[in-house]
Amino acid sequence: MKKTILIAMLAGFASLAANAGEYDISVDRVQIDTGDFVKEGIGYNGASPGPILRFKEGEEVTINVTNNLDEMTSIHWHGLILPYQQDGVPGISFPGIKPGETFTYNFPIVQAGTYWFHSHSGFQEPNGAYGAIVIEPEGREPFRYDREYVVQLTDKHPHSGDRIMRNLKMSADYYNRQQQTVGDFIEESGDKGFMATLMDRMMWGDMRMMKADIEDVQGFTALINGKGPEQNWTGLFEKGDRVRLRFINSSAMTYFDVRIPGLEMTVVQADGNNVQPVNVDEFRIGVAETYDVIVRIRDEQAYTIFAESMGRSGFARGTLAPAEGMVADVPEMRDAPLLTMADMAGHRDHGGMDHGSMDHGSMDHGSMDQGDMAGMDHGDMNRDDMAGMDHSGMNHGGDSALPEDPFYAKGSGLIPTASNGGKFLSYADLKAQKPLYEDREPTREIEMRLTGNMERYEWSINGVKYEDADPVVLQYGERVRFKFVNETMMTHPMHLHGMWSILDVGADKWNPIKHVISVAPATTVYMETEVDAPGEWAFHCHLSYHAASGMFRKIVVEGDPDSTVADGKQGGQQGGES
Amino acid sequence: MNPILKNALFPALALAFSSGLYAAGEHGGHHGSSAVGEPGKAEDVSRTIDVTMMDNYYEPESISVKPGETIRFRVKNEGALVHEFNIGTAEMHEAHQEEMQMMVEHGVIKGDRIDEEMMNMDMGNGHSMKHDDPNSVLMEPGETREIIWTFTEATDLEFACNVPGHYQSGMYGDIDFE
Repeated sequence: MKKTILIAMLAGFASLAANAGEYDISVDRVQIDTGDFVKEGIGYNGASPGPILRFKEGEEVTINVTNNLDEMTSIHWHGLILPYQQDGVPGISFPGIKPGETFTYNFPIVQAGTYWFHSHSGFQEPNGAYGAIVIEPEGREPFRYDREYVVQLTDKHPHSGDRIMRNLKMSADYYNRQQQTVGDFIEESGDKGFMATLMDRMMWGDMRMMKADIEDVQGFTALINGKGPEQNWTGLFEKGDRVRLRFINSSAMTYFDVRIPGLEMTVVQADGNNVQPVNVDEFRIGVAETYDVIVRIRDEQAYTIFAESMGRSGFARGTLAPAEGMVADVPEMRDAPLLTMADMAGHRDHGGMDHGSMDHGSMDHGSMDQGDMAGMDHGDMNRDDMAGMDHSGMNHGGDSALPEDPFYAKGSGLIPTASNGGKFLSYADLKAQKPLYEDREPTREIEMRLTGNMERYEWSINGVKYEDADPVVLQYGERVRFKFVNETMMTHPMHLHGMWSILDVGADKWNPIKHVISVAPATTVYMETEVDAPGEWAFHCHLSYHAASGMFRKIVVEGDPDSTVADGKQGGQQGGES
Repeated sequence: MNPILKNALFPALALAFSSGLYAAGEHGGHHGSSAVGEPGKAEDVSRTIDVTMMDNYYEPESISVKPGETIRFRVKNEGALVHEFNIGTAEMHEAHQEEMQMMVEHGVIKGDRIDEEMMNMDMGNGHSMKHDDPNSVLMEPGETREIIWTFTEATDLEFACNVPGHYQSGMYGDIDFE
């Protein structure tokens, strides 16, 4: 194995060079030791995860990426606003980096916060090709802290990405170890009655889904900064410190519910952007999202950072401690959630249907789903109640015992609750600290139905896979409202490259800007985008095996700041998906 | 305009009516202790300290006073969000943060403005969410207000913004006794 460790120039170094930093990254074959297994993978500068790249807002960076693999590679700077040729997506931004070659990226740093980088080629990212980016702001931040740590999560699997993809294509439930058994059936029959249980199972079978099917790919070891639960990544502090933790979820497939028992966390950034601070006991981090939190530690004891996967098939564990070697209790994982009828309310099977030619404007989802479920207790299944953001018809008076979150279907089995009964962060809590854009009416709406066929492990947008789809064409200067309708029973973290995703949390000008918008099953979520970056961009589900099997689009932005496309006007050409 | 907030408001309000939290925890009661000091008289003022509120921090971040000294704090909110300037102990601030959390949940504090009508609304039992304690000012962006405060004895005091999350993200400072 060729092991060329080039110099990773970090913050101190870069500041010597004032406003132009040069960085070298090599892409290497590496060994990844999770504590449970050792696996050959791909890393940067000889390690996985790669280095923490520390940039300064306003800096012009030059990054030389040398490919020491025997296959093509690429690096995508996740969440960074940059010219599209620098975005690192093979086939869209550039051709990719050939074996043995060095590609030089060059772009200005126009933002601050916590981001990450990863390969956009094949399954190199799940195989280990990822690292963190920390950008120091030009001015003072709206919070203070004494020290900071990157806490980068991933779901390292003993199988290579290619092998996982093959197995999923062969059998979508290949890695789903939490399937319900005959024993579960008998137990459930005792609770709910035989017929109800049988009907329930038949329906789920009919949908080619399982109630426990929350994580497609189980069997991973969850890592924090490259260390498994037993290897216990530890961050040191001194009593009284305010510690900033930069959580990054670099998983291929896994959402995590994160808590630090005994410490309240104040969320100050989401996806690199400052938010009005929110005090929480626990938060859920979607794939490819980042959250920065501040904890104030008043005593001299160790605290466990505990990140359970959403489907409870694994957990990451690290420690904050006043001295090396100190540990705190590691909690038991809670029971795995089960999907409910509410989570399948949006479900449609897109196997043999040609949705491209259908008129979706006239589709009545409500009556369609009801038809499928004749004979069942529909309780709170009215789809209108579950249209995500439109809660005008919701009755907030009743069911006060059930957890509620406007970003989950009402009655969903996925709605998270804090383990200590306290506050669990919701998207609805996220408000921009300082709005980046003027609030204005969108110039048009584009509907993106998130679709799939679980049995064939085909994922798509509006029923059309990437290879069969036309690009979505946007005009420079317009503000597009995207309507994501999740018609599957999986949660999809949708990632738009190159331009911000303004998440509609109902807070008008305070709506937060993100780079990943997580869309829970049977919900509709809206985001708006100021189309301010000319060129060609990727847009996709950030679950590695969903993106690779078709839940992906190319976005083409026509025009530029010098062209005359006026606000509110569209060019003649519409996107294939709108 | 804002369906989520509007709808979320009512069950939460109903809760407040019955909980009687404000009956017990009215902003009063915090500043009775002589160690914290007391409202001062204009004629006793020995000096003026200018405090600027930013998002979300103060300038300066610490203040020095002498026991017995009466100070005029001229506080200006130059941030884009609502902020508070409150003199008290860490424990007082913590208790006050719960009340401020309710003010946010009930829509009294909305990012960059204070809903005066909501704040002064009679909550059904003679109580309201009025924020009118002499040790504290709650201000919209652009406002300048004054507090005259007499520090009686040396004790652990902080000036702090108890708008939810602001204290935790670092919007507080020490009051040092010389």
